[in-house]
Amino acid sequence: MRVKPSRVLLHLILAIGALIMIVPFAWMLISSLKSHAEISAYPPVIWPTEWVWSNYPNAMGFAPFGTYFRNSLLIAVGHTVINLALATMAGYALARVPFRGRSLIFMAILATMMIPTYTKIVPQYLIAKGMPFFGGNDYLGRGGFGWLDSWWVLIVPGALTPFAIFMFRQFYLSLPAELEEAARIDGMGEFAIFGKVMTPLVKPAIATVALITFENSWNNFLWPLIVTTRDDLRVIQVGLAAFQQVEKTEWAYLMAGSTLATIPMIVLFLFTQRYFVQGFATAGIK
Amino acid sequence: MTVTSLPAKAPAAGAPAGPTRPRRRRRLGYERRRAAWLMLTPALIHLTWWIGIPVLATFVLAFTHYDVLAGTITWAGLDNFTEIFADETWNTSILHTVVYTFFTVPVAMALAVVIAVLLNAKMRARAWYRAAFFLPHITATVAIALVWMWMFEPNIGLFNAVLAMFGVNGPAWLSDPAFAMAAVIVVSVWKGVGLKMLIYLAALQSIPPETYEAADLDGASGPRRFWSITLPLLKPATFFVFVVSMIDAFQVFDQVYVLTPDGGPANATTVMTFEIYRTAFSEFRISTACAQSLVLFAFLLVLTVISRRLTGKDDDAR
Repeated sequence: MRVKPSRVLLHLILAIGALIMIVPFAWMLISSLKSHAEISAYPPVIWPTEWVWSNYPNAMGFAPFGTYFRNSLLIAVGHTVINLALATMAGYALARVPFRGRSLIFMAILATMMIPTYTKIVPQYLIAKGMPFFGGNDYLGRGGFGWLDSWWVLIVPGALTPFAIFMFRQFYLSLPAELEEAARIDGMGEFAIFGKVMTPLVKPAIATVALITFENSWNNFLWPLIVTTRDDLRVIQVGLAAFQQVEKTEWAYLMAGSTLATIPMIVLFLFTQRYFVQGFATAGIK
Repeated sequence: MTVTSLPAKAPAAGAPAGPTRPRRRRRLGYERRRAAWLMLTPALIHLTWWIGIPVLATFVLAFTHYDVLAGTITWAGLDNFTEIFADETWNTSILHTVVYTFFTVPVAMALAVVIAVLLNAKMRARAWYRAAFFLPHITATVAIALVWMWMFEPNIGLFNAVLAMFGVNGPAWLSDPAFAMAAVIVVSVWKGVGLKMLIYLAALQSIPPETYEAADLDGASGPRRFWSITLPLLKPATFFVFVVSMIDAFQVFDQVYVLTPDGGPANATTVMTFEIYRTAFSEFRISTACAQSLVLFAFLLVLTVISRRLTGKDDDAR
């Protein structure tokens, strides 16, 4: 078969583009494994002569990256589980049960989807700080720090996204009513119909929402930045930013930290690309 | 958006109206509604608690003087707004946000549409290319901004070393007020291309191949097809990407915070979100920060309304 020159050109352009996208990741990995001499050499050493794996344990000696990593993982898993539980239920109710005020509630949820972060974040902080009976607060939420610097504040506020409810509603809507009616004739209760009949049929939506929730939670920076000051509660993104501000020139350790903070998402993405792409495309087009 | 109403209470057509039927139906309806409310309540409580109340509070606090330490609150009218617009740094931050958006959004969109069109052809390794372009979108901004910071390092960084090969003496990107914003924009374009490309790709796949047949018969060239057929058909997608990207760009924070701490050299990269962060969480001037948040909100609202007007009915289809 003859190779068309236009094909070659197409691949050439795409390959160069893809390379530009990948270079920072490759440079991060390579830099994280360079020796002290090679990382501060000029011109930069492209391919290290010696791979210094001990940069990783050494970086963890500078900052508790293990703890940061564990915190991020716990929070991301927590957010994913809670979001799936609450949003499937809410989406199901909105899609499958007619009741008075349903469209009003749905409209309200759509509206919350469009609220920008900065229109709510300051009061969110105040609510967390004023949580009664927590962190030395009295029953009116005065006197202490409330939920600040606690697991509560890291997990609860971000545990439900209106986007997930919306997504599940759309998927539940597309299921045929006969299924539900057949189950009802068999004498199944409403919750059993939801859990055993309908929800197993929206598995693609579950995968998509789970991945996007996990990704958002893992990458989240602003909220954990403002509500935590304790080192043992830092998530990896905040820990990394804090480490950079202290150790400005320890580039090999910084790149080791960055690698730890990005690798889980990269691996997850490469294995579940289909769901990610589907999710972002439907989120985009709706 | 399609709002499909469900066949709620299927009328028992033809069935003799037995005495037990209506009562059973009513009980069933009650049970279903009860279950629905039980399933909906946790979500409604959460959304009211963490979105509904905070949004209202932002609006109220912006028009009051709230002292977070003393816990006192007094009516302020428009005082907070006159205060922030008298603040030089805040006004600069608005300008920077606009500049940032003005350069980031169109550049990233142009690149995204070209990549999407190229990727829309059937070819080998297509999924790999797509993954490569999309990868930056799903990785943490903080971590990847640190990598760029390392590449922008003026003396031993990769960026200036590459420039030096072409005989260009690279600047001290992030610490030079003239270049800091440019560096932030480069990172944002790199990170933002993937999502836009993906939305374009989804839109392209809904264009039927027959659309191009007439053009093929006329022997139209590739670029000609792009300008005359593809781009006009992508108009709804373009507007959608535009709105989403603008809203995103106006709220840029993570990369600005990491790449150029404290608003950058001589406040060269301070943006609206960074000023809100600084006012609220390092100066604890809560009411002032809420007023600033409302200004940002007003910008987003106006942008959304304008683009809705421009798209007309097109947008209702999404």
